[in-house]
Amino acid sequence: MDFSTVELTPEQQAFQQEVRAFLDEIVTEEVHEHERRTGDGFNEAVHLALGSKGWLFPAWPVEDGGAGLDRVCQRILALELLRARVPGITASTTGLVWAAVELSADPELAAQLKPEVAAGRVRFCLGYSDPEGGSDIAGATLRAVRDGDEWVLNGSKLWTTGAHNCQYTFLITRTDPEAPKHKGLTMFLVPLDSPGVEIQAIRTYGGERTNAVYYTDVHVSDRHRMGEVNAGWATLQGPLSAEHGAGRPDDGLSDIGILMGTREFEDAIDAAARWARRTTRPDGTLVADDPVFLDRLGALVVETEVSRVTPGLMGRVKSSLSYIDGIAELIDLVGPEALLAHGADGAIEGGVIDYAHRFAQGTATYGGTTEVFKNMIAQHVLGLPRLSLPGSKQFVR
Amino acid sequence: MERFELRRQDLSLDDDQQAVREGFGDFFTKQVPSSLVRDAEPLGFDADLWQRVVAMGGTSMGLPEEAGGDGATLVDLVLVAEELGKVVAPVPLVSHVVASRLLARAGGADELVAAAAEGERIVTLALQPVVGGNRQLVPDAAVARDVLAWSGEGLTLHTLAEPAAHVPNQGSTPLAWFDPAAGESALLATGPEAEQLFRTAVAEWKLLTAAALVGIAASALQLGVEFAKSRRTLGVAIGALQGVAFPLADVVTELSGARNLVLKAAWYATHEPDARPELPLAAFVQAAHAATEATWVSAHVQGGLGFTVEADISLFFLRAKGWSVLGGDPGQDRRQVAAALLAAV
Ligand SMILES: Cc1cc2nc3c(=O)[nH]c(=O)nc-3n(C[C@H](O)[C@H](O)[C@H](O)COP(=O)(O)OP(=O)(O)OC[C@H]3O[C@@H](n4cnc5c(N)ncnc54)[C@H](O)[C@@H]3O)c2cc1C
Repeated sequence: MDFSTVELTPEQQAFQQEVRAFLDEIVTEEVHEHERRTGDGFNEAVHLALGSKGWLFPAWPVEDGGAGLDRVCQRILALELLRARVPGITASTTGLVWAAVELSADPELAAQLKPEVAAGRVRFCLGYSDPEGGSDIAGATLRAVRDGDEWVLNGSKLWTTGAHNCQYTFLITRTDPEAPKHKGLTMFLVPLDSPGVEIQAIRTYGGERTNAVYYTDVHVSDRHRMGEVNAGWATLQGPLSAEHGAGRPDDGLSDIGILMGTREFEDAIDAAARWARRTTRPDGTLVADDPVFLDRLGALVVETEVSRVTPGLMGRVKSSLSYIDGIAELIDLVGPEALLAHGADGAIEGGVIDYAHRFAQGTATYGGTTEVFKNMIAQHVLGLPRLSLPGSKQFVR
Repeated sequence: MERFELRRQDLSLDDDQQAVREGFGDFFTKQVPSSLVRDAEPLGFDADLWQRVVAMGGTSMGLPEEAGGDGATLVDLVLVAEELGKVVAPVPLVSHVVASRLLARAGGADELVAAAAEGERIVTLALQPVVGGNRQLVPDAAVARDVLAWSGEGLTLHTLAEPAAHVPNQGSTPLAWFDPAAGESALLATGPEAEQLFRTAVAEWKLLTAAALVGIAASALQLGVEFAKSRRTLGVAIGALQGVAFPLADVVTELSGARNLVLKAAWYATHEPDARPELPLAAFVQAAHAATEATWVSAHVQGGLGFTVEADISLFFLRAKGWSVLGGDPGQDRRQVAAALLAAV
């Protein structure tokens, strides 16, 4: 067991300084403003700048376009990217998809893409969720039909976040509707500039932009197939299990569980704590001296402390649900000032609580809903039996 | 507050810690069947079991080597306390270990510390400050002649000829009224030092009790999960239904978080005691909540059977609250957790 501060070598210290100085320079107020406006989770200039440093895939060797960082430097970089609030959604989907590309793509295609991905010029998004229901990924309906050396795609996907900033989508398709549900799926890396692809924006009240993507007679070469035909479920598991935190080295340099929104919640809690220290009630007493306020705030702090140490899949559920409950409580504690928008007269620290409240709600849905994770916890952590439903094994529409 | 601090987040146990967990786990599982827990009611003390705990080193391990102990850390001690909680062992180990450590730190008489290490004299701690002549309920005081208490005057050792009378209580613990005026008393420490010693001991008590509550939650969960796998309705195991499975998934989530927060708090208290003094209190708040939720959910999953005295879940349900309430209102701890944040941001 070890929670000690990591002792840095002079080289690691120098690296930390370098990262901070670099991020100070590239992550300008204009970058934050762009993110607030677009909700893209992506900034091309920043992404390319990180790529030029090898910091998009920092563990890769320098000759592959990475930075050859050791685990400590990787952690330094990860923490500094969070501290600087670098928009990172598309960087993270690109990383997830790369894991599958490396395992399952045509080796020549992978070799061709690798330097482009490392430099930040090629980016990937996740085309998993169907309009008819995203939780049942294996129930995908978008059809892919073979046509000589090509495949023809027809159908649509919802929630393909970052599609408008990416070159490829990692798409799950139905290639055999007659086969058992999990045996009729095939994955593709579809170039998003293909004729017949149409991307439409969807906006969330969390401020994010995501997309509906329509595929009409889209032709994809067989070279862009990922893994074997009808073995798409296996192909997809690579990045999914990476997303669920499997296979991390056990050196204490990663988060303990999957955190969803805990940092945004902590930002809001910290802002409320500073607000309480400078704000008086109508009777002249300081909010920070009110024992009722302290009791209720303390309950929220306990929730974030617990979220940070709840392991694996369980951390995903705990962090998200305690954030959603807790941010509503925090707003009650602070009052209407908490919901003043960024830039409004009296907004607290740039509207950080307003933002955290809106942002919280999506964390229970994307990346697999909290219910989907509770199913996994029941089965894999507790060993409870799985309920057999009509669509458990068969493709039913 | 530094939210992006480069610290390790490593909860793995080393070989020695693993050995402590397994050694005490085996011991408690073998020595404490639920029949023994029932037989020890209503007092909640089994003198034979106490002797065996002493022989295992349970009473001495947490004392410094100079005082006849093994210098075990709080990390070791929370591992032991969790195993104790898993079987709700009717022994006053948590209070005794904490009070013995306090006694040794406060310069208590060598013979008394030695007798405490040997488990011959059971010692305990009044968790609330003494105000005037007010009496208070003290955990395990019905089996301990020696009670450490703190008041404006300082830290005092109160010794009675016989332990105070047991007051029957829902958790079947050896609870008794402590009267600061009764028996002999000896002042051990005064001033800010005495207060600091007292606060540290209370935090240790809450931390070890939190660990025991995690143990209670874990056993309650196990009982509920086993029942949910075998009990059937509409042709399926009830555990296949989300209305049953999800509350159990919530329980394992809450208890895993509680367990890890206890361990993290124990690490800080051992290695950097001044860095996060509020963590034991946060761990106590979470563990009390997890045990309450786990025992209720498990009892409910077992339907009417879960409401019967005969069902083992009753032992855990009654102690989840019966033990946690001894630490006082968690609201007090939450306020301290908040105060620590306010001081840091
Ligand atoms: C902002 C945002 C970004 C996203 N980005 C992406 C992305 O980049 N790529 C991508 O592929 N997807 C993305 N998603 C989609 C996301 O993964 C899905 O929304 C999610 O998986 C749920 O699917 P659904 O919305 O279709 O709801 P449904 O699956 O229809 O679920 C509706 C409700 O039913 C519950 N439910 C469903 N099945 C079960 C079950 N078996 N047991 C219990 N309850 C169940 C769900 O928990 C939910 O509450 C994004 C979503 C959002 C909101």
